[in-house]
Amino acid sequence: MIRLAGVSKRFGRVDVLKHVDAHVAKGECVALIGQSGSGKSMLLRSIAMLERPDSGAIYIDGTDITAQGVNLNQVRESMGMVYQGFNLFSHLNVLDNITLAPRWIKRQGRTQAEARAIELLSMVGLADKAHSFPHQLSGGQQQRTAIARCLAMEPQIMLLDEPTSALDPAMTSEVLSIIRKLTRMGLTMLIVTHEMAFAQDVADRVFFVAEGTIYEQGTPQQIFENPGRDKTRAFITRLKTFSHEIRSLDFDGVSLNAQIEMFCKKYAIEQQRIYRVQLVLEELLVMIFTQCYQHETPNVEFTMAYSQEQDDITLDLVFKAAEFNPFAPQGGDSDDLGMLLVRNYAKQCGHAFSQGSNRVTINI
Amino acid sequence: MVDMLSAVIDSINRNLLEGGAYLSVLEGLRVTVSISVQGLLLGTLVGAVLCWLRISKIPVLSSSAQCVVVVLRGSPVLLLLMLLYYVVFAKSRVDPVGIAVLAFALNSGAHIAELMRSALEAVDKRQLEAARMLGFSRAKAFVAITLPQAGKIARPVYQGTVVNTIQWTSVVGYVAITDLTRTVNNIGNRTGDPFFSLFCGVMIYLGLSYLVHALFSIGGGRAEER
Repeated sequence: MIRLAGVSKRFGRVDVLKHVDAHVAKGECVALIGQSGSGKSMLLRSIAMLERPDSGAIYIDGTDITAQGVNLNQVRESMGMVYQGFNLFSHLNVLDNITLAPRWIKRQGRTQAEARAIELLSMVGLADKAHSFPHQLSGGQQQRTAIARCLAMEPQIMLLDEPTSALDPAMTSEVLSIIRKLTRMGLTMLIVTHEMAFAQDVADRVFFVAEGTIYEQGTPQQIFENPGRDKTRAFITRLKTFSHEIRSLDFDGVSLNAQIEMFCKKYAIEQQRIYRVQLVLEELLVMIFTQCYQHETPNVEFTMAYSQEQDDITLDLVFKAAEFNPFAPQGGDSDDLGMLLVRNYAKQCGHAFSQGSNRVTINI
Repeated sequence: MVDMLSAVIDSINRNLLEGGAYLSVLEGLRVTVSISVQGLLLGTLVGAVLCWLRISKIPVLSSSAQCVVVVLRGSPVLLLLMLLYYVVFAKSRVDPVGIAVLAFALNSGAHIAELMRSALEAVDKRQLEAARMLGFSRAKAFVAITLPQAGKIARPVYQGTVVNTIQWTSVVGYVAITDLTRTVNNIGNRTGDPFFSLFCGVMIYLGLSYLVHALFSIGGGRAEER
């Protein structure tokens, strides 16, 4: 259905796409994941010829659409594009947004086009919004309208460029449920997304985009559970962990706590447990700072991970200093209260020292 | 009170009724409206062409259009009118009203070119791309998306330009055209009571402004309904 052969694109001195080869079969749903600026969107836009590749060819149903003299308007009729910013026609109401293209391009009569539009609107759950204007709708409703607008042209291919990135969680799920419906309609789909759980769930294949190319591809299982290459592995791990480096005694603790909270909220960890994590971290850092970094600048790496299977939060602190085990009995009783607190909250604590580097692990 | 009323009636008699003065006022109004309407219609055309040249990708066209716009917008319309009347068309027997129409077409055209350009630039380019992705050609997308949206943005500014142009036509008396302003001035001179006739003139111009406002509201209302 879609085949990319050596597609390259550069802006100035930056290679945005480097010799990309790919193949997407009819009816397949492919999720494009990767860091911001890795070229995912550019790849999608190239397939629509919104960005003309500098070299290489793009075949849609065997036709090279990068060739001279190809009627791109016709090619695009068979494609639908859904944008992060919805891009509805602001001067038209929902119904006219949907019927505009069928009437202008497919030369359908008003009644025929509107009947179909109403059908599509009920499919996306917006039949009662037919006469609303885009600015009167929520983001989720706008995005569902945009999807209906694409479907009205009966495309074979749907390109979705971060369709939920501008939406809050409730709206995200309403849009995702519509996209899920699309996959069952046999459309060929490419989705650029940051919704990893969704990608894992609906995609037949996942392209991990990095360095301007499809760095690794495979089934969701392969990519998310068992990534084969370094960058993919790093990307997937980073999704599941949060890490932070502390290089100063006056580090921004407020921001660190906020980031911890954000990470925990992603996994619906309850507030009380988040407090415990923050408290334990604070106690440990105070201990490490007073013991190891009275005269030197601190060098602490903090990593936290959450395992859904075991419902377990692991805190990991690596600090370069002389050997110091916070869990070993200390002389004096100044820190005892803090230690008591840590021990009380922790399911498990451990300390290891090797090559000038301490490692403290705590499970909560 | 009675004195004042009779004074007003006397003024109306002397200024507007005696010798059919109201007929010359109406004729003056006709000239003013005629120059305004023709000037604006032609000006809109001139503006569209200038705007099109201005946004063209060919540097020579774009910069010369910009140059023309800057000169026309930056110089008083009266000087342009006099230049056309006393210099350019001095030897030819062109109707002065025609020359005035041309002057106002050029002047308002420059303003209209700028307001069109800013309206076109204000249209959301991403909506245009969405239209292209639905299979619209460049031209169709322009007609279906850009034009209606730019029109909506430009409407209030355009309305202002129309009112402004109508008021500026009051200077055509300088080139021997008897328009509304010149007529009321003549009447004032004749009766030795300039206040009343000039006041009438002001009220008529005000009425024209409101008429323009009303026309735009009706047109605008229709556009909203769509």
